[in-house]
Amino acid sequence: MLKKMLEQFGIDEKRLMLEWVSASEGDRFASIVNNMTEQVRALGPLNWNQGGKHG
Amino acid sequence: MKKITIDPITRLEGHGKIDIFLDDAGDVANAYLQIPELRGFEKFCEGRPVEELPRIVPRICGV
Amino acid sequence: MAKLKLALYWAAACGGCDVAVLDINEKILDVAKLADIVFWPIALDFKYHHVEAMPDKSVDVCLFNGAIRSSEQEHIAKMLRSKSKVLVSFGSCACFGGIPALANLTTRAEIMERAYIEAPSNENPNKTLPQTKVSVPEGELTLPELYDNVLTLAQVVPVEYFVPGCPPTVDLILKVVNALATNSLPPVGATIASDKTLCDECDRKKEKKMISRIYRTHEIIPDPERCLLEQGLLCMGSATRGGCGALCVKVNIPCRGCFGPPAGVFDQGAKLVSSIASIYQTNGKQDIEKMVNELVDPAGTFYRFGMSVSMLKRRIPQKT
Repeated sequence: MLKKMLEQFGIDEKRLMLEWVSASEGDRFASIVNNMTEQVRALGPLNWNQGGKHG
Repeated sequence: MKKITIDPITRLEGHGKIDIFLDDAGDVANAYLQIPELRGFEKFCEGRPVEELPRIVPRICGV
Repeated sequence: MAKLKLALYWAAACGGCDVAVLDINEKILDVAKLADIVFWPIALDFKYHHVEAMPDKSVDVCLFNGAIRSSEQEHIAKMLRSKSKVLVSFGSCACFGGIPALANLTTRAEIMERAYIEAPSNENPNKTLPQTKVSVPEGELTLPELYDNVLTLAQVVPVEYFVPGCPPTVDLILKVVNALATNSLPPVGATIASDKTLCDECDRKKEKKMISRIYRTHEIIPDPERCLLEQGLLCMGSATRGGCGALCVKVNIPCRGCFGPPAGVFDQGAKLVSSIASIYQTNGKQDIEKMVNELVDPAGTFYRFGMSVSMLKRRIPQKT
């Protein structure tokens, strides 16, 4: 639902991740966070002009 | 050439502005009505569910 | 007591807020007793140069309705701010962007293209678009610049009070008038409505039922006694500030959130997403997909009146 809405706002679905990690899965948690960070970094900053006047 | 500007046009809903140009004799040479507002219902109604439009388009004019 | 000086203005709005002021019927005579109106374009013939000539802080109260989506509207907002002691953000457009802020799902270029070039009622082979300056044989004409983003009044100038509603109800307007008459205005920054959600003042029966399907409003005739959301209709009540007296839900129409988020809620749409997710019965991926498909236009529904104050505020243009 959130993904569909974000798509309407022009936000790449790769910027949203939903994962279930147990408290015992430390390594998995770290690797998911690292992967997500890398993925978002690769996408670069949003071309987001929220207050300004010109698009 | 003299210019008279009526801004805003009042006692109606919506924004309007009239520029009247007078020639040297003081007669009206030309007059321009300008609409300094656009909200874009034409565009942003696209993509809305059709059954929702009766709740969106009344806000074109609420007078 | 000396008469108050009252100004009213409409920016990107429909005029419904101005009419709402007249909806107080004979009470308008009390307003006339209480205040002299010094600016109200929709009803009285004052021009911008009259306002410009007023000394700073000479207007006691300004009720400002409409969103800010052009350089002119921002200019008038700043002018009325400096002329007014108390500036009230009046109505959903001024408070949250309102219906005009749905335009934040598009861009200025797309709106211009649609309205001036593609519209079937327009004949514009040269694709002329409005310009801020145009030379005509007699001289020069100017127009304000249309902004890409629709902003709220408070995003442009500081505001003392917020009166939500599309339009604000008669009860709320009278509350404002009474507060002015008795000089008992609430603390600065207050929203003149309920602090709780609409659900709090809705009489419908809530049975804590899960839903297995989202219905569009034309697909069912809802039971007039039971909670609309629990009948599968998208009702924004749980994510919306109360204070309207539940006008829409009383006539079997789901709330669309015109009073904006309640106190303490940061993002109205996100709040509703979480409400729906928690009552939709799902037993796996298929059900989730079905739910997402039943939800036709989340952005345009959950932020129907509140796009400008949402976390994202607008659609992000794709990089080219």
